[in-house]
Amino acid sequence: MANLLIVDDEANIRLLYSQELSDEGYQVVAAASALEAVERLETDNFDLVVLDIKLKNESGIELLQRIVKERHTLPVILCTAFSCYKDDFSAWLADGYVVKSSDLQELKDEIKRVLAKKQIKA
Amino acid sequence: MDWECCWSKTEISREECPYIGEGEEDLYAAHRRRVVEKCIECPRFKKDVSQLKGSGDPLSDVLAYLLTEFQEQKVQMESMLGFLNTRTSEMKFLREVSLVLQNTIDLDEVLSIAMTAITAGKGFGMNRAFLLMTDKERRNIKGYLGVGPKDYEEAWRTWDDIGRSNFTLRELAKNFQKTGLSTEKVKFHDILGQLTVPLNDHGHIFNRALHGKKPILVENALNNPDLDRGLARILGVDTFLVMPLISRNRRIGVIIADNCITHKPITLQDMQSLETFAFPVAFALERASLYERLQEEVAKQKAANLKLREQQELIVKMEKMALVGKITSSIAHSIRNPLMVIGGFARTLLRSSAENDEKRSYLESIVRETRQLEDVLSEVLDYSESLFPVMDFWDLNELIATTIQDQAASMERAGIACYTELSPEIPMVRIDYKQISYCVKTIISTAMASMDQGGELRLESVLDGDGVLLRIMDSGAQLTETAQEALTAPFFQTQEMGTGVGLSLCKTILERQGNSFAIVGRPGGGNVYSIRLLTRKENL
Repeated sequence: MANLLIVDDEANIRLLYSQELSDEGYQVVAAASALEAVERLETDNFDLVVLDIKLKNESGIELLQRIVKERHTLPVILCTAFSCYKDDFSAWLADGYVVKSSDLQELKDEIKRVLAKKQIKA
Repeated sequence: MDWECCWSKTEISREECPYIGEGEEDLYAAHRRRVVEKCIECPRFKKDVSQLKGSGDPLSDVLAYLLTEFQEQKVQMESMLGFLNTRTSEMKFLREVSLVLQNTIDLDEVLSIAMTAITAGKGFGMNRAFLLMTDKERRNIKGYLGVGPKDYEEAWRTWDDIGRSNFTLRELAKNFQKTGLSTEKVKFHDILGQLTVPLNDHGHIFNRALHGKKPILVENALNNPDLDRGLARILGVDTFLVMPLISRNRRIGVIIADNCITHKPITLQDMQSLETFAFPVAFALERASLYERLQEEVAKQKAANLKLREQQELIVKMEKMALVGKITSSIAHSIRNPLMVIGGFARTLLRSSAENDEKRSYLESIVRETRQLEDVLSEVLDYSESLFPVMDFWDLNELIATTIQDQAASMERAGIACYTELSPEIPMVRIDYKQISYCVKTIISTAMASMDQGGELRLESVLDGDGVLLRIMDSGAQLTETAQEALTAPFFQTQEMGTGVGLSLCKTILERQGNSFAIVGRPGGGNVYSIRLLTRKENL
């Protein structure tokens, strides 16, 4: 069972992700801020991080850079509200990239793809 | 004593002296002038003087001496007068040339005046002249213009035309510039093409004339072993004058003049006159050349300013783009997140509701409407994005200059001297400005990190086929092959290594845009980072 860390500042979105991804068979832990995410990363072992680019008063990209630097084997999928982030080369550090949508199928597919690449099963 | 001639009479009639011509009638009554101007040459007077010699009068011998002396002095006076007249007209001509040359800065006009002055009958009357000028790089003297007839037929036709016209030198030159200059430039193309001589060929007659600052008259060139016969063969004459053109010790060029049609000898006086003439010509040519170069520089400057303005407009456009990006991303977040929550939970509820649940249709409506709103939002955001394309044409040299400026202070602190050699010839490159400037900055930072004891950083831009090559060279510690490979390995591999993310990201960025990136060691130490950028849209 893969352990996922969800990082999003919107409580409802964290809830939605947690429910939907738990239904898919993942162990889900949600963090509301970059700081909380870092703390969680210190204590738990995760197989993948689903990270919102825009966090309240924080940059998801900075957190992404930190994860890449400190835990370069941990894959990260970026979630954004605006597709122009695709052109921001900083976002290229991530392993996957999805535009936020009420239909979470794309995110689920991307999680499967990235984990398969890392050979981790749900 | 009976005199044969009328010299003793105060006044004479027309029948008495056959030597007084039309228009000189006043001499009949002007005794003194008549004796000095006419009688002195008259054979009958001379006979009377010899009669006087036999008379035993002591004055008769003295008179004979005085007469002989007087005649000799008269001949000398006339010759000096002739010389003086020639010099006066020459001075007048040179003054005219100088005045005309002083008032012109157009190279073609200066050339027209100079060459007309040498070859026109109203000027120095040489048959033909060639102008050779030192090239911009100051390596060679090159044939620039030839003026004169090619054969007898053309010569007589031209001289006949000029002879009948009553133009001043300036008018002749203007006329020549308007009608003749372009054809003359072509006419002697074959000869001019063979007259290129390196400035360091010190033995060549052109360089000897320039070095000695004196004209050289070449005579009998085909039979003179001391001379280069090749030049005489090219010109088709064995007598010609080589006139150096020097302005303030600067070698401007050489004029070759000859009389290829009339074969009239070139005199010392011709040489002296042409030498005097060469000074204002050399000065005017130098001034006109400088002016022409200045015009070229001004044109370049104008083009650069235009380019700069275009770039400024693009920067403004980019700033607008950034602003639009900020606004749209803010809209995207404030609308997309609630939509996602509404639609997402509706889907969850829908999945868990029974097939016959009557509320299911409400949930389906929420899912459908949310999806529709998300699609509209995506369309609007995509449209705003398309208004400002990220890829555009940019001046790479400008990008390099800006990037260096940003890092100038840190380079100075690190004791690194930065040099650039940016080719002005390179075309605009089609790039994402932000990304490429990130790459250049990253490479410079990496290069600087390898020079912890200070050193030298060199940036070059050159045209490379249908692309542009940017080379960044450092003098720091040479990277090992493994390090080079690791630094530019595909991104995911490097991520695992955990170092050198910067350069591998550069490689990813560059290759995604169809460009290439390589690092090689320099033979004497240091590294060369090469980026090849594409210039045309269709190459991408």
